[in-house]
Amino acid sequence: METKLPSYHHFPEDEMNRYIRQITLPQVGLSGQQKLMESSVLVIGAGGLGCSILPYLAAAGIGRIGIIDGDRIEESNLHRQVLYGAEQIGLFKAKEAADSILKNNSDVEILVYEEFLTQKNANQIFPDFDLILDATDNLFIRYVINDTCVSLNKPFVYGSIHQFQGQVSVFNYQGGPSYRDIFPEENQSAPNCAEAGVLGTTVGLIGMLQANEALKIILEIGEVLSGKLLIYDLLSNSQQVFEFGKVPERKKPEIQIPFEMISAEEAIQSESLLLDVREMGEMPAVHLENVKQLPLSILELESVNLDKEQEIKIFCQSGVRSRKAAKLLSEKGFQNLKLIRGGAKDLLQFAETEIKPNSKRSIVK
Amino acid sequence: MVQVKYFGIIAEAAQCETENIAEENMTLSKILSDLSSRHSLGDYNFQIAVNRKIVSNLSEQLLEDGDEIAFLPPFSGG
Repeated sequence: METKLPSYHHFPEDEMNRYIRQITLPQVGLSGQQKLMESSVLVIGAGGLGCSILPYLAAAGIGRIGIIDGDRIEESNLHRQVLYGAEQIGLFKAKEAADSILKNNSDVEILVYEEFLTQKNANQIFPDFDLILDATDNLFIRYVINDTCVSLNKPFVYGSIHQFQGQVSVFNYQGGPSYRDIFPEENQSAPNCAEAGVLGTTVGLIGMLQANEALKIILEIGEVLSGKLLIYDLLSNSQQVFEFGKVPERKKPEIQIPFEMISAEEAIQSESLLLDVREMGEMPAVHLENVKQLPLSILELESVNLDKEQEIKIFCQSGVRSRKAAKLLSEKGFQNLKLIRGGAKDLLQFAETEIKPNSKRSIVK
Repeated sequence: MVQVKYFGIIAEAAQCETENIAEENMTLSKILSDLSSRHSLGDYNFQIAVNRKIVSNLSEQLLEDGDEIAFLPPFSGG
């Protein structure tokens, strides 16, 4: 898969031909193509944004592309995650995205990570890449991306959407502001696509703006969106750029408590305690044998009834309360805490499909 | 007149994307606390920009006719 990178002076003819239309641009040229081929980019998330970013990076001839995503393809992804087809439902997105973009350009070296990003694997994976692209749908993991990029001194291109609006910015670029400088809080609520609606073209366009910033950074051309937040409204076609004021003196990145996120599928397959921190009566109810419900509001008092040595997998509805619960328990000395991605809804979905007739686990509605 | 723009989840909370405030000689902090209580924005995370510049210090800055305030929450969809 890996090709030896050609040197500037003897560009192989087939590669020259493949990239001729971008090499022809005076801002790119042979030296620009060389920069692209020598660069490495990690794309975090192969969902809506990732499906837009990845084919353009590969087609442009980025030397090495990493794709990290622990998710599998679902039918409800297909309207916006256009790299995938119906026959790929159930397969890992990272691998399928890699196969798809290799069809366009087999010279690109692709590293596939079929796992969700955590503080731990971020520290292992990020050093291998020049540039990080945040194509996640998760507010919390963005702080892991930010803090890891700050500690390793790597820029990252942020993109995210809310209904018909998208935000794009480049953080930690040449001493510029970080995400935490703009949004220091991480305990507030913001829904992801699982809950909020999204049109495929919105993630498509925002992802492409991210890919565009990545190419500009690598090619060292144009004006990079560092110190600026672009908000694109696709209903009105308006673009507004907000400038960050003076960057406050950089605080040391907060030490993240490395709560590992696991998929609902993984959670369902284990025997360990699944802790539901939603309030009593919240729907959908999850009545699996190893589920215990301790609402966040009483968790501090009730935590004495939990075993500190035991592995606890926490879930709620959207992921906000489960993280608060994990922090709270961690402060009380619990060591073995994991968060279940997708919350009660995903858990229930996998419970329905995974449970075998003879399984100990059961589901009651 | 000061124009206020809401983005993302803040626009949903405020149930509008823009509104105009006619009162003059208001400080930024006063306008923000008024809007925050009127739209119950206390639980949300956002930055404030005045005339397209994000302001970290929500001071006693007086707003002038034609100024634009924007509420910028982080987005999280992808």
